[in-house]
Amino acid sequence: MNLNPKVLRWLRFLSPLTVCLAVWEVLTFFNILNPRLVSSPSYIMLRMYDLTVLNPTLLVYLYRSLYRLALGYGLGALLGISFGILMGMNRYVHWIASPILSLLISIPTIAWVPLFLYLVGIGDETVILAIFLGCFFAVVYNTMNGIRSIKKELIWASKTMGADSETIFFQVMFPGALVSIITGLRLAVGYSWRALVGAEMLASGISGGIGRMIYAARSLNDVNTMFTGLVIIALGGLLIDHLILGLLEKITIEKWGMVRRRE
Amino acid sequence: MGKGGRKVKLKAINVTKVFEEGNRRVMALQDFSLEVRENEFTVIVGPSGCGKSTFLYLVAGFEKPTKGEIFLDGKLITKPGPDRGFVFQEPTLYPWKTVLGNIMFGLEITGVPKEEAKKRAMRLIKMVGLKGFENAYPHTLSGGMKQRVGIARALAYDPEILLMDEPFGALDAQTRKVMQRELTRIWEQTKKTVLFVTHSVIEAVYLADTIVVMTARPGRIKGIIEVNLPRPRSYTDEKYLAIREKVLNLLEEEVTKSLELQRKL
Repeated sequence: MNLNPKVLRWLRFLSPLTVCLAVWEVLTFFNILNPRLVSSPSYIMLRMYDLTVLNPTLLVYLYRSLYRLALGYGLGALLGISFGILMGMNRYVHWIASPILSLLISIPTIAWVPLFLYLVGIGDETVILAIFLGCFFAVVYNTMNGIRSIKKELIWASKTMGADSETIFFQVMFPGALVSIITGLRLAVGYSWRALVGAEMLASGISGGIGRMIYAARSLNDVNTMFTGLVIIALGGLLIDHLILGLLEKITIEKWGMVRRRE
Repeated sequence: MGKGGRKVKLKAINVTKVFEEGNRRVMALQDFSLEVRENEFTVIVGPSGCGKSTFLYLVAGFEKPTKGEIFLDGKLITKPGPDRGFVFQEPTLYPWKTVLGNIMFGLEITGVPKEEAKKRAMRLIKMVGLKGFENAYPHTLSGGMKQRVGIARALAYDPEILLMDEPFGALDAQTRKVMQRELTRIWEQTKKTVLFVTHSVIEAVYLADTIVVMTARPGRIKGIIEVNLPRPRSYTDEKYLAIREKVLNLLEEEVTKSLELQRKL
């Protein structure tokens, strides 16, 4: 059978999921899994309908989360790339910052949240700060490695052509480090997303957010809303990674043959 | 004036290069002096580790000599610059630039207007036999094609001298022969001053006007052999074989020494 490779990829991705969902549905339908403790795909779908079409709570909550994510991730990425470049290019900066970084990087972002709550209070800022940290470390580390691992011959070649440092930076160093930078940005999506949900859960009393929605549902024993929250978190992370960063990768490093196409 | 009435283009005087790694010092070159004449194709051959590539890096300005001086057109070399073109052993193309983009890069840096730069780059693409590939990205090219781009890129901004560091060393035997023939053709069209480094005697005698045979480390000049054969040369021609024999004899002793040096390390 000759199938379009794109269709085939989708099939390969979706079929194990479909099987899992079907088994899950059957198990709950026949009460093998207690529906009071475990939701089911059909209930999750119903709850999603409730929370979007009937009453847009989910959308409002999601918007709040995405707003925090955009700010924290954006800031983390921007500063992470800038500082990573600085660390990669200047050995003194590297010398000073590297040990500090390797110590801080081993602290899970969520462990900072109580401190942030104490320092800046319960609000968007705490969550944004947590996301920022989650993103920053991943990006800074990978960017630095990207800059440091550029082959010196690539820089020599441009110097032979008489390139000044500005040209070398924008036309050689930055594109040369892009594989690592994008790797960092992709990892950072995962870390930021985790930091977001964790911080929202810890910051009791904060308004809105997917993490808050799940946590609040727990006190009402609302299993279906909790599961709905989990599904939204999973889909959200996947979509951001695939749509935004996957596209960025496709039009740059994949086109240039610097990474192999992922199957 | 050098031999044959030609102007001396490149002059190295008593160049010494010592590499220090930790507490080990390696003398790569010792009191190495050389003259390269204008419009000539000069090839340096020597056993591996004799410092021939090091010398090329010093000429390019990538490294600085520990002692001694190198002059290009009477000017002291202190850093890399567009008066020298460099072709690396491994193709060192920018993966994010197309064939055309790679070749135009040097021209853009020197401020040649875009239209003119493109015209010149297209002419070079044609000369190195890559017409139709101008919009291809390097990862889609074969090793031989990549080195053609490398040569075109180094010629694009019209340097005074072309430095080539075993550019065909990574290619398979068949492609290598094709590239030697192509380089001869390109050189005859441009008559650029070339300084070419290789460990292949076959390649040296095929390409060179002048062959500089180097000693084992620390590298010094063992002998200089002029090759006055018409081009394109034949690998089986009697005169070719006689010169090859001469170079091989000079080298043999040094290769043995070099092997002993390596064994001692």
